[in-house]
Amino acid sequence: MAAEQKATTEEVKMDLFEDDDEFEEFEINQDWVENEEQVKDVGLQWEDDWDDDDVNDDFSHQLRKELETISADKK
Amino acid sequence: MAYVSMGEAHRRITEYLNRFCDAVSYQDSSMLCRLLSFSSNSPSLISLADALNVFQDASSLIRQSEKFSEYGEILAHLFRSLQSYRVGNLVEAYLAFDKFANAFVQEFRNWESAWALEALYVVCYEIRILAEKADKELTSNGKSPEKLKAAGSLLMKVFGVLAGKGPKRVGALYVTCQLFKTYFKLGTVNLCRSVIRSIETARIFDFEEFPRRDKVTYMYYTGRLEVFNENFPAADTKLSYALQHCNPRRERNIRMILKYLIPVKLSLGIIPKDELLQKYNLHEYMNVVQALRKGDLRLLRHALQEHEDRFLRSGVYLVLEKLELQVYQRLMKKIYIIQKLSDPARAHQLKLEVIAKALRWLEIDMDLDEVECIMTILIYKNLVKGYLAHKSKVVVLSKQDPFPKLNGKPVSS
Repeated sequence: MAAEQKATTEEVKMDLFEDDDEFEEFEINQDWVENEEQVKDVGLQWEDDWDDDDVNDDFSHQLRKELETISADKK
Repeated sequence: MAYVSMGEAHRRITEYLNRFCDAVSYQDSSMLCRLLSFSSNSPSLISLADALNVFQDASSLIRQSEKFSEYGEILAHLFRSLQSYRVGNLVEAYLAFDKFANAFVQEFRNWESAWALEALYVVCYEIRILAEKADKELTSNGKSPEKLKAAGSLLMKVFGVLAGKGPKRVGALYVTCQLFKTYFKLGTVNLCRSVIRSIETARIFDFEEFPRRDKVTYMYYTGRLEVFNENFPAADTKLSYALQHCNPRRERNIRMILKYLIPVKLSLGIIPKDELLQKYNLHEYMNVVQALRKGDLRLLRHALQEHEDRFLRSGVYLVLEKLELQVYQRLMKKIYIIQKLSDPARAHQLKLEVIAKALRWLEIDMDLDEVECIMTILIYKNLVKGYLAHKSKVVVLSKQDPFPKLNGKPVSS
């Protein structure tokens, strides 16, 4: 039990010296070819017109049902 | 450790000494790089280390010849470091390498051209890696780790050497990136500020002149700093630059960029496509994106909870939590659209009671005062256009564009 606890505190201490997201080194004497495809590709990765008026998904259907019970309550 | 005869040890050490001195004489940077890359654990360095540990008195060999003794100090420290490294005394290895590095940098200053820049890069990289290992050794012996911090000081010194008008200045960005990695690991990211200021404001530097790989790394780290500081437009610019110019084959790096860019984009009202999340294994964002798309507050809370540790470690938790307001906006819009379907004339009136019912359904318990508070915030932040009719407990929506899109701008603070 004591050994386990010691192991976890050591783990935590090591964590303090970690940056999970350290960028990997690029090779020093090699450059890579950039092509237009790559730049275009990025443009195809994001959506900025997703905020539409469509309420045909499950969530919206259930929400609608929920809201309708309010009016039902009132009658 | 392999057995080496004295004769063989002598031969190996002399061979290395010749290679080193020739590399300097003929300005052969690639050769010099290979001779200094401890972390590569190349067979030739390992066999040299074994030879040194057998021979023990390499300094006498160095002293014997004028060719070698010219670089006597550099070589003596280098050998001592390699010997210690080989037998696993990493603190000793670091200390000797630090001395080597200082001596090497002094010599580097005297070389007029920038021929040895790549070798200098290797020295910077190796000292950082050695310092990390030394700190691990210190920690495991119950001592205080301090070598990585010391390596940071050396790197700053190197930066100073490169920050001049000559051709060596293009190396400054590489050293900057090594400093970033050091500071991020130590958690002292505030120290990044001074070197960033040098790079971005000193007239000797032209950012475009730096090698692309260093620019990408630089933008990744400065982008992350912008995320910490919640400057989302700046973070977007920098991280997007890193993404666009990163070597497409380095998928782990791309994934790291996206890990920080996605919360930024979300804060600007832009969502990543599913294919992107799939391709780079960023499943932790899937439910967050879904929640925003739908207006599902419960899903958002669930997603934050499920990956809380991960989001906390990367520091994006607060950014994602703040998306809640945008999810509220989406939910209100859904309620409005649903109301329009059954009673278009009165759809622009959202009763607080109705909103409360929807929230309760999403497992968020709020009384009407709290709902009113949330709606006030949404209106204040221009996520909802309209006003609160307090007495009738209704939000009256503007007839025109009641739920303004963010359009690439963050929610006003």
